[in-house]
Amino acid sequence: MTISEKDIPFIALNGVSKTYRSGSERLPIFAGLDLSIGKGEFIAVMGPSGSGKSTLLNLLAGIDQADSGSIQIGGQRLDQMGEAARSAWRAQHMGIVFQFYNLLPMLTAAENVELPLLLKSISGRVRRERVSKVLDIVGLNGRGRQSPTKMSGGQQQRVGIARAIVADPTLLLCDEPTGDLDRKSADQVLAMLGFLNRELGKTIIMVTHDPEAAAQAGRTLHLDKGVFVEDEQVMA
Amino acid sequence: MTFWNFARKSALRKPLRSALLIVSVAMTFLIYGLTAGFVAGSQGTAAASDELLGVMNAAGRGQPLPMAYLSRIAALPGVADVSPITRLRGSVGDARNVVAVSAGDPDKLLAVSGADLGLTPSLIDALKSRRDKVLVGQSLAQAQGWKTGDSLTVTAFRTKKDDGSRDWRFEIAGIFEGKNASTDTHFILAQYEYINKARARGIDTVWAFALRPEPGMAAQDLAPQIDALFANSAAPTRTMSEKQFLSAFLSQYADVKRVITLVVGVSFVTLLMIVINTMVFALRERRFEIGVLKTLGFRSPQILLLVLAEALFVFVVGGAIGLVVAKLISLATPPALGLVIGAQVSLRTIALILLLGFVAGLLPALSAMRTPILAAFRTR
Ligand SMILES: Nc1ncnc2c1ncn2[C@@H]1O[C@H](COP(=O)(O)OP(=O)(O)OP(=O)(O)O)[C@@H](O)[C@H]1O
Ligand SMILES: [Mg+2]
Repeated sequence: MTISEKDIPFIALNGVSKTYRSGSERLPIFAGLDLSIGKGEFIAVMGPSGSGKSTLLNLLAGIDQADSGSIQIGGQRLDQMGEAARSAWRAQHMGIVFQFYNLLPMLTAAENVELPLLLKSISGRVRRERVSKVLDIVGLNGRGRQSPTKMSGGQQQRVGIARAIVADPTLLLCDEPTGDLDRKSADQVLAMLGFLNRELGKTIIMVTHDPEAAAQAGRTLHLDKGVFVEDEQVMA
Repeated sequence: MTFWNFARKSALRKPLRSALLIVSVAMTFLIYGLTAGFVAGSQGTAAASDELLGVMNAAGRGQPLPMAYLSRIAALPGVADVSPITRLRGSVGDARNVVAVSAGDPDKLLAVSGADLGLTPSLIDALKSRRDKVLVGQSLAQAQGWKTGDSLTVTAFRTKKDDGSRDWRFEIAGIFEGKNASTDTHFILAQYEYINKARARGIDTVWAFALRPEPGMAAQDLAPQIDALFANSAAPTRTMSEKQFLSAFLSQYADVKRVITLVVGVSFVTLLMIVINTMVFALRERRFEIGVLKTLGFRSPQILLLVLAEALFVFVVGGAIGLVVAKLISLATPPALGLVIGAQVSLRTIALILLLGFVAGLLPALSAMRTPILAAFRTR
């Protein structure tokens, strides 16, 4: 057996603890969570509501902070970065896909996709090329000028995916990307994520309640009461 | 799309709300532009000199002083030149066409006020060539359509000649232009000797003495010395700089100005509250969106800039409309209304537009910046 790139942990969580506090109430989510994910993996995270799936993604995205433990991504300690550094890190290395798309209604589809590129110092021409390329990938070329408010849920989610990959991140975090879609649209979106993983080498972590969605992934993590209860490896 | 385009689109997301905000900003700056233009146009003190002194009867304006004071004032150390001034107000042709005539000693006038009024030795020589010759200020000459060589008859309101008539005939010897555009040249300069000799009453009295201190002698030091000279005489004096005099003269108007300033100030505060309130509400609707931007990697300063830019956009567009309309109104109204929107007023207005835009945007921007990022990921 050779050591492939997938075996070197790209993401490593060690002893991560997280407790939400509101007033005197304490809601422990994780107590010493460990996790290791290789580069280029497609992970599905499943589990009952309230088990901490979104909290996990928030920690990985650096928009929430753990109480203790280390979070390492691509050799960088996310938990030791300040807020500005985490923002810059997100802009550079991460794409995020939301359940409810979270597109801005006053912008066209193409402008929504272009948004993350405003943070980069690249010319308008290069920006437009990149936008057109990713709209091509998600099968929406020619619809760039349309307002997302006039699109179907499946189309909106594809705009959301285009926005997530336009800055060419290595890691995609998806929180129930098909949770609001009908079966057909969901399958299209899942096929697209599979393509991004296989052909473009994106590491994908996808939270989902849908077993068919999980079937697209290479590995499924089951989260319950703040711990991974089993670790299925789908053999290739 | 650039960052600024994005800010513009965000600002215009609710067209009606943006339009109403822009209109109220435009209205406020229209009012401001008109008031500031009115104040700038009517303020004569800007060009008035701090150096020239006027000696008047302490009992009040209009009360005469004896001509005999002239030699005593002239003899005072520190006084360079002094001219008697007497005034005559009347109408030319139409009774409502009011003009003011100031009469002095031509040579002394040249020495005292020559630089300020733009008098030249040749103008003074022309003035002296006959006793009924006068010089007319450019602004008045332009308004009346007078030119050198014209004759005019001023029907005085009060000053009678010894033959009982109140008609004073003058001939224009020349036009004086004033030091610069803001100098008041809306009057006629005549000769004291002529008016003094010809009038029926008040012979050998003056309305004021105009004097210039010697170089190195401060006007504010000289003034009390002059007043001390006549403190115990029948007609004590009050000596003021030209600027003080004009300020006192305009003080009634200054009260009006204060009221206007107050009203404009109140409307500014109201506008600010409306805009800030509207923007804070607009932002509350957008907390989610700002969270999304933050998850995309927008940093706090960029969010701050975005919201500030939106407020500035509303103020710049609205303010520009208000200023342009004010300017158009100032061009359309007759000059006599004294509405002048020049470079100074415009620059001051632009500075105010930017300042208020900044102030109005800052509070919402700070609150947007502090929006917890988790708000975006939590389901709505
Ligand atoms: N910011 C917060 N403050 C307090 N409690 C929170 C916060 N975010 C989440 N929680 C709580 O933490 C628990 C885990 O939340 P999380 O969103 O991670 O669950 P989840 O697995 O994503 O659930 P779902 O499947 O419903 O999306 C929940 O009980 C939730 O109410
Ligand atoms: Mg969740």
